[in-house]
Amino acid sequence: MLYIALKMLMADRAKYTGLLLGIAFTAFLVTFAAAYFSGFMTRGFALIAENGAADVWVMDAAVESVEQTINMPDSALDRIRGVEGVRYAVPLALGTVDARFPNGRFQTFQVIGVDDATLAGAPVLKDGGVPTVLRAPDAAIIDDGGTSGKLLTPVLKTDQWPHDGAHLEAAIRELAVGDELLANDQRIKVVGRSETLPRFPPRPLIYTTFANAARILPQERHLLTFVLATAEPGLSPNDLAQRIHARTGLRARASEDFKTDTVRWYLVNSEDVGDMAAMLILAMSVGFGVTGVLLYIFTYENLKQYAVLNAMGATPRVLLSMIFAQTGICALTGTGLGLGACVLVGEITAKAGYPFRMMWFTPLLGTVGVLIVSLTAAAISARPVLKLQPAVVFAGR
Amino acid sequence: MSTDANHEIAVRCQGVTKTYGTGVAQVAALRGIDLDVRQGELLMLVGPSGCGKTTLISIIAAILDKDGGQCKVLGHDLEQMSQNDRVRFRGKSIGFVFQVFNLLPSLTALENVAIPLLLNGVPRGRAEERVRSALDSVGLGERMNAYPAQLSGGQQQRVAIARALVHNPKLIVCDEPTSNLDHKTGQDMMDILRGVAQSPDRALIIVTHDPRILGFADRIAYMDDGRITDIIAGKHRGQLQ
Ligand SMILES: Nc1ncnc2c1ncn2[C@@H]1O[C@H](COP(=O)(O)OP(=O)(O)OP(=O)(O)O)[C@@H](O)[C@H]1O
Ligand SMILES: [Mg+2]
Repeated sequence: MLYIALKMLMADRAKYTGLLLGIAFTAFLVTFAAAYFSGFMTRGFALIAENGAADVWVMDAAVESVEQTINMPDSALDRIRGVEGVRYAVPLALGTVDARFPNGRFQTFQVIGVDDATLAGAPVLKDGGVPTVLRAPDAAIIDDGGTSGKLLTPVLKTDQWPHDGAHLEAAIRELAVGDELLANDQRIKVVGRSETLPRFPPRPLIYTTFANAARILPQERHLLTFVLATAEPGLSPNDLAQRIHARTGLRARASEDFKTDTVRWYLVNSEDVGDMAAMLILAMSVGFGVTGVLLYIFTYENLKQYAVLNAMGATPRVLLSMIFAQTGICALTGTGLGLGACVLVGEITAKAGYPFRMMWFTPLLGTVGVLIVSLTAAAISARPVLKLQPAVVFAGR
Repeated sequence: MSTDANHEIAVRCQGVTKTYGTGVAQVAALRGIDLDVRQGELLMLVGPSGCGKTTLISIIAAILDKDGGQCKVLGHDLEQMSQNDRVRFRGKSIGFVFQVFNLLPSLTALENVAIPLLLNGVPRGRAEERVRSALDSVGLGERMNAYPAQLSGGQQQRVAIARALVHNPKLIVCDEPTSNLDHKTGQDMMDILRGVAQSPDRALIIVTHDPRILGFADRIAYMDDGRITDIIAGKHRGQLQ
């Protein structure tokens, strides 16, 4: 009877194709949305990801993400270094500064000040160079942080730092090694361009030493945003985090936990992410709705055929297994198509620089979503089949 | 009647009643039906529209519940059976022929006819042999792989007849099997029903409006307003003995 169920399903090519496309579309949408969202969130915690060597992030007790921070007294570093089980601890300064280009234009940068001694957290240069170049005076490595066309400087020397006012319309080129910027009247010398993980939201970055960051950032009493601690061998990041918190009262989180914290923070606090999630949920609901209705209509239109089968001896159980077989085939084939399309489109999207990240749970989400909707639709459409009066088979039409 | 003893009773209805709806919308479709159908006979059920013919054969075929009275079909008291048992009983023992054929449009003639066998658990390979011979017997051996839409009305009804008898049921019920067919095709259909479907251990009940096919009946039961008003012997009466 399963064979017959499948023949019933595929008899109407147009409807079957529509059903498959509807389901494929839904699976695609859900998976794509989840992957896109994962991509955004991955960019959201890029700073944590690029500091892979750190086991534990220590911060002010009220800080919940890398996106919104307040600094600790500089003495915190020594207190953390004093906690047993801490192998290394290095400071990290985060701040925001408006820097001027030589033609007079300006741009907001995130300043990332890394430990002067170890340069831990400084990026590798685009040309493969090492970040030790940061040891030069006023040195900074500039990164576009997922933006484009924001880091430009005049081509001609005569348009740079002119005495007759800004040359805003002067011909421009990409910022390069040797160029200079000004922030808070302090010189920033570009010693390299890097290409680290793109940020969400995108923003240009200045990597420099902690000391240099103190020089270019607006005057603040405290500069220490994070302390990145590494555990002694044999001590788990979680245990170290608990220990640091217990000794210092500061918030200490294992890197993986801090990523999760940051994602949660975005979900709760970022309007952009909220809007995005709402849009995606809306799109998914439409996809789910279409799939469900199509499946329901399919079964409903075949009601008379089920009645005939029932009259001829098909038990409700047989009819149900037919309906669920039809639904299952549609759901699985459709999901396969949808996921395939998603991988293809995702590949292109990711190549084009958009935040698309297929994680283990993203296709699962698509599959489970489609299965739930399909099974629900099948269950709902099975109701009229079960309540069938077989006597309708004698009705004229 | 003297012949009763010679023929086992396939269907025995006593005082069967059926009412549709409630309150002012209530319709008494059957008002106390007494009817015996014997094995081996072709009984025709005739009467004006709305007199309850379809209701009666639906109850006999175990696809509709009666309200009162007794109804024994092939030795089974339908009332005693569970819903599932009744479905299986139908699948095993009853063949259906409908006015509108009710073939599954997505299946070929062969697949349509195979359904009762598949529902009875006959493996597909074995089913196919029996389907072939059933289709051969209604003269459609050549069109086994045609879809219903590719067949004429008469051919579709022949497929339906093959489907009704392929699993060798003891009772075949037909609701106006010829009324969607022209006169000649209707006569052919009755020839087939008499020639192929009828056998000494099988009863046929045919509901009809069509006076031109009454000649094929062993007996004719007249109904009016939910009651059997008369039962007469048909022309074929003699052939049974
Ligand atoms: N499902 C139903 N609900 C309510 N009333 C019904 C239903 N089925 C039949 N009836 C009524 O019961 C009566 C008997 O109907 P039935 O279909 O048995 O008549 P019939 O003799 O087969 O008529 P026809 O020759 O037109 O097919 C009619 O008055 C009909 O309107
Ligand atoms: Mg009728």
